[in-house]
Amino acid sequence: MVEDINLKEIQRKVYMSFFQDGLWDIFLGLFILGWGFAILTELAYLIGAFFIGIYFTVWGVKKWLTYPRIGYVRFSATSRRRITARFLILGVVVLLVGVMLGVVWGIGARPQWLADYFPLVFNGILAAIVCFVAYWARANRFYLYAVFIFLGAVFHLWLGIPWEFGFIGAGSIIVLIGVGILISFLRKYPKMAEEAQNSDRQ
Amino acid sequence: MTDNSGEVQEPITKIDRLIHEPSRYMLMAYLYVVEVADFLFLISQTGMTWGNLSAHLSKLEAAGYVVIEKEFLGKKPHTTVRLTDQGRNAFEEYRGNMKRVLDKLPTK
Repeated sequence: MVEDINLKEIQRKVYMSFFQDGLWDIFLGLFILGWGFAILTELAYLIGAFFIGIYFTVWGVKKWLTYPRIGYVRFSATSRRRITARFLILGVVVLLVGVMLGVVWGIGARPQWLADYFPLVFNGILAAIVCFVAYWARANRFYLYAVFIFLGAVFHLWLGIPWEFGFIGAGSIIVLIGVGILISFLRKYPKMAEEAQNSDRQ
Repeated sequence: MTDNSGEVQEPITKIDRLIHEPSRYMLMAYLYVVEVADFLFLISQTGMTWGNLSAHLSKLEAAGYVVIEKEFLGKKPHTTVRLTDQGRNAFEEYRGNMKRVLDKLPTK
């Protein structure tokens, strides 16, 4: 019994339940897609607002779509602190790299290789962030998304495909995968009957 | 009885029979790794029926291992379950005892 039910496996399953509706895939896909359109329309400064907008939308949809199907769970305080700390570290690292790149760019001290391969560096950082999320959230398909994102820069530099199209392509594929996962989730977990949800323990 | 079998029997007698039942063990294990879960989550994770889950949780609640709380989300009642400190300790003790029993069994 003890051997059959592994607590770490249960913990992993609980974590994974958070990602099984495909909504975070759609969130990431829309964000990447947003980057593509932001570069295309030269409205890159709007990406922050777009990010916040879809983030809260995903939470809203999750409450409306996911919780009535698979229920609600709150991780332990230790787990929550650990997750928050990880994402804070990630945020600080991203901010530092961004500031560093901005300063190097701003003072005109950028090395030639950085100017030549900037899309590779930029997409590489985005892909690294997605890998980081995949590793900590134990959501392996996010590694594949990181590859899609990185390939956008590779195709741009070596095949001449416009940089923004890489984002649009990767974002579209990720959104489609997310929608596929969402559809399969909705089929697998129909909404519980109202009386069952509302019923007491009796 | 040899000394060895005596050693095996000793922790067996300490096994908590309430937790030893597979469904209840599974529920305790889920509640052990989270802080709070609702009925729906436990059903979706364990595959139990509503009635079955309810019956097992009532036994665990009677033993003081879980607390079942009812709250309202808007106008809808929402039932959540969490492990008590007593339940957490009992589960850890159960795991320790089971491990000792299994470790003392001879290998082939």
